[in-house]
Amino acid sequence: MTRITMPASGPPATKTRNSQRMSRHDIENLDPDTNTATLALDAGLYPVDVIYGAAYALIDKAWVLLDRTTPEGGKGHRFLVHLRGKMPLGEVGLQALSGAFGNELLSQALRRKVVKQNNKIIEEIVTQAIAGAAGATLPQDFMEEDDDLDFLDDPLGIAVPWEEKFKKDKGGKQA
Amino acid sequence: MTIGTVRLHKSMYMQQAIRDAVRTFEDFATFELKRDGDHYTVAIRDVDPDVDGDIVGEFCNFALVNTIERKRKTPR
Repeated sequence: MTRITMPASGPPATKTRNSQRMSRHDIENLDPDTNTATLALDAGLYPVDVIYGAAYALIDKAWVLLDRTTPEGGKGHRFLVHLRGKMPLGEVGLQALSGAFGNELLSQALRRKVVKQNNKIIEEIVTQAIAGAAGATLPQDFMEEDDDLDFLDDPLGIAVPWEEKFKKDKGGKQA
Repeated sequence: MTIGTVRLHKSMYMQQAIRDAVRTFEDFATFELKRDGDHYTVAIRDVDPDVDGDIVGEFCNFALVNTIERKRKTPR
């Protein structure tokens, strides 16, 4: 039976790609043999919710394991994200997967920021929608105006059939 | 035979979420959950030979998704 293990946190076992530094996250380790990429993220830059969101978006393509490391001295936590492709990806595919994770991180971070900024507006819209559905915002005039209307009343003649409304006289003239 | 040991950091994974994932896969393998400092360790062994797929990877994804869903439900 093939031995299957998720990579443990710690120093990279294979190729380290420090030369391919990215602006917000580093590819700590890329190993096509095990189909695994490990990303290191600065915990000060990304809230854990953002990392959860990005990981959630990729679980159909990869197996994801999150970890956290504390360097010596106790300052500057880092999140480690281990991604293992569900399909054989190769080096280029693993880089693409890492890039997709990075993009998703930015997307989630932006989404979080927008929600935070618009939180009050969203709450007001939802409150109005719920209050409207409960009938609280109906104007009093409108309520009174409709009081004497029955559902069978048809003051505009909408329910009159077309044939009846435009029926021709025997001589061929319209009514 | 142990086919894999997964280390899940306590600040990233909820214990109950891991237990739920263990419950999901317990028919297909034996799981042993332990605490080890800042991590939970889950040893996975005796995988059902009929299982077609990566049970370790799927277990990790389930533990993660269960954690995310539980954290969303938990009021802050």
